Amino acid sequence: MEKLSRLTTEDRDNLAAYLDGELDEESTRRIESVLAQSTVARNDVEMLARTYEALDLLPRPHATEDFTERTVATAKLETLKKPLSQQLWFQKARRVAVLLAWGAAMLLMATCGYALTYHWIDRPNDVLLDELPMIQNLDGYIEIDSVEFLNRLSAEPQLLEEMRAGEQE
Amino acid sequence: MATSEIVVNKPAGSSAYLRDPDVQLMLRVKEGDDGAFAQLVSKYQDRLIGVFTNMFGDTALAEDLAQELFLRVYRARQGYEPNAKFSTWVYQIASNLASNSRRTKGRKKEIQFQPSLSGSQPLAAGEDAVAEKSALMPARQLDTDELRERVQLAMQTLNERQRMAIILHKFEGMSYADISAAMEMTPTAVKSLLARARETLREALEKYVNNAN
Repeated sequence: MEKLSRLTTEDRDNLAAYLDGELDEESTRRIESVLAQSTVARNDVEMLARTYEALDLLPRPHATEDFTERTVATAKLETLKKPLSQQLWFQKARRVAVLLAWGAAMLLMATCGYALTYHWIDRPNDVLLDELPMIQNLDGYIEIDSVEFLNRLSAEPQLLEEMRAGEQE
Repeated sequence: MATSEIVVNKPAGSSAYLRDPDVQLMLRVKEGDDGAFAQLVSKYQDRLIGVFTNMFGDTALAEDLAQELFLRVYRARQGYEPNAKFSTWVYQIASNLASNSRRTKGRKKEIQFQPSLSGSQPLAAGEDAVAEKSALMPARQLDTDELRERVQLAMQTLNERQRMAIILHKFEGMSYADISAAMEMTPTAVKSLLARARETLREALEKYVNNAN
């Protein structure tokens, strides 16, 4: 008697593989035996085959005309060596160079500023330093009183000796 | 009961794949022959666009994905070793690309297949759509365009892996062993996947196929 129960779960799983010729010999023989005895199984196999054939209606689109050309060009473009300006090491080196340039510029400006202030701006302490010998002997210069007296003193050595003797007394 | 086995014929070694003319082309690409790459693109472009179109129902997206696939092939050329048929390798990339694309863009594309549906559960909704449209035209014989629409909707009732397996088997003529390599599954798992997928398609399309004949 032909019954649906003749198809086990495994048989049903094997129907598609049987249609595809993917079963081993033993399983193929078993399925063929079941199909020979069961119209239900035969109907199942037929419907599996016919519904699978219906998939032929699915669209099979073609690539656009320039697809190959575009794809090859894109692939080659990817492999082209990047310009120097786009290479990572160059970008890093350029960044370091910019920082160094800024540093050098700032150093130069600082040097120029120092030179300018050193040479062109008057500083009171420098005047004092320049006049230091005179400042150290200022008391003596005040006592001397006048240039005429110094000239007379140099012209008359005797007067100088008298003055020294007076100081010793 | 003895468990049935899938017949798997594996080549003896990687050198067996050297007879594959596409592997030869790829080896030329590895050597820097861009003309060989153009030949591979030309040979596989329509097939891949067909695969992606039937996965996502969007030809423009399919073309983008196919181009991305070829770019991946080109980028991988220097490390290429012929460890499988070239087509198996290509469809392995296609399978991964489809999975990634599905994760990022898939929802929108899936809903596009079913514009009249709410879309909260796309797979179940696809089945409803087939039945709903059938109820509107019970006795009329379907013309080719209508049947194509039913087939497209029926395909959307499959999950992503079932759909990919069906497309690779039906349109690319791949064996279970090749599909298992491309989808990184065992041949037995592929057999089970395809059996469930074909059963789902049978249930969804049976009445229309009967009607059409």
